[in-house]
Amino acid sequence: MAYDRGLISTHPTPVIDPHVGEDQDTDRPWQVIVWNDPVNTMSYVVYVFRKLFGYDENKATELMLQVHHEGRASVSDGPREKAEVDCYRLQGHGLWATMEH
Amino acid sequence: MQRRFKASRGGIDVDLNADEKSFLTELLEILAGLPRTGDDPASQRLRVPVYLDDPESNDEWWRLMGEELTAARNDDRRIFQRALGDGPGHLSNEEADAFLRVLNEGRLALGARFGLEVEEDHARLSPEQRDIMDYLGWLLEDLTSELTRSL
Repeated sequence: MAYDRGLISTHPTPVIDPHVGEDQDTDRPWQVIVWNDPVNTMSYVVYVFRKLFGYDENKATELMLQVHHEGRASVSDGPREKAEVDCYRLQGHGLWATMEH
Repeated sequence: MQRRFKASRGGIDVDLNADEKSFLTELLEILAGLPRTGDDPASQRLRVPVYLDDPESNDEWWRLMGEELTAARNDDRRIFQRALGDGPGHLSNEEADAFLRVLNEGRLALGARFGLEVEEDHARLSPEQRDIMDYLGWLLEDLTSELTRSL
């Protein structure tokens, strides 16, 4: 299945701009942010975090509650291409995921 | 209320009645009929920006990833449609995951059309809209609970 862990190679080529600007910092990871919304249920969000990232129940619940109470949470980080794929997997599950650097 | 999903035989048993299958078929038709672009809030909810402050990168992300996402959603919907066939059914965990994603996708789309943008908007739903959201939420919770057993 397209969203499962370990099958990243099946995804399309990430959006990498070859004309990187002066502000590129390859050592600084991109953050994948999940935003609160009024429709996704808490248990569904916990399930998605556990399934996609392998987090245990406590970690996934902690992140879900951060999204719920603070409006957003960083759920993963890494190189730009990994962040883009993580956004793809989260969007595929209906979560509003963005990335920032 | 009797549960509709039950973990069994390495997958999920599905037991939806005829009225539920009819409603969920309509939901599927709504999803299939959503325009890819435009002002429909349901379409917009399913195509939210990935780069908030970089429209160019966002457009590029959607150009490259959007087709893959659409194909994956269509695969999920075919599984969902098959599961609405005659009689009780059995889904593998992967198929049940696809079913779950479509349930959630449908709930997101209807929620957007009902104007749910913040938590407080729930109080403004009509009784019929609330019933629909509650029913889909109940199904979603039931299936999520059963699938969580497999993690």
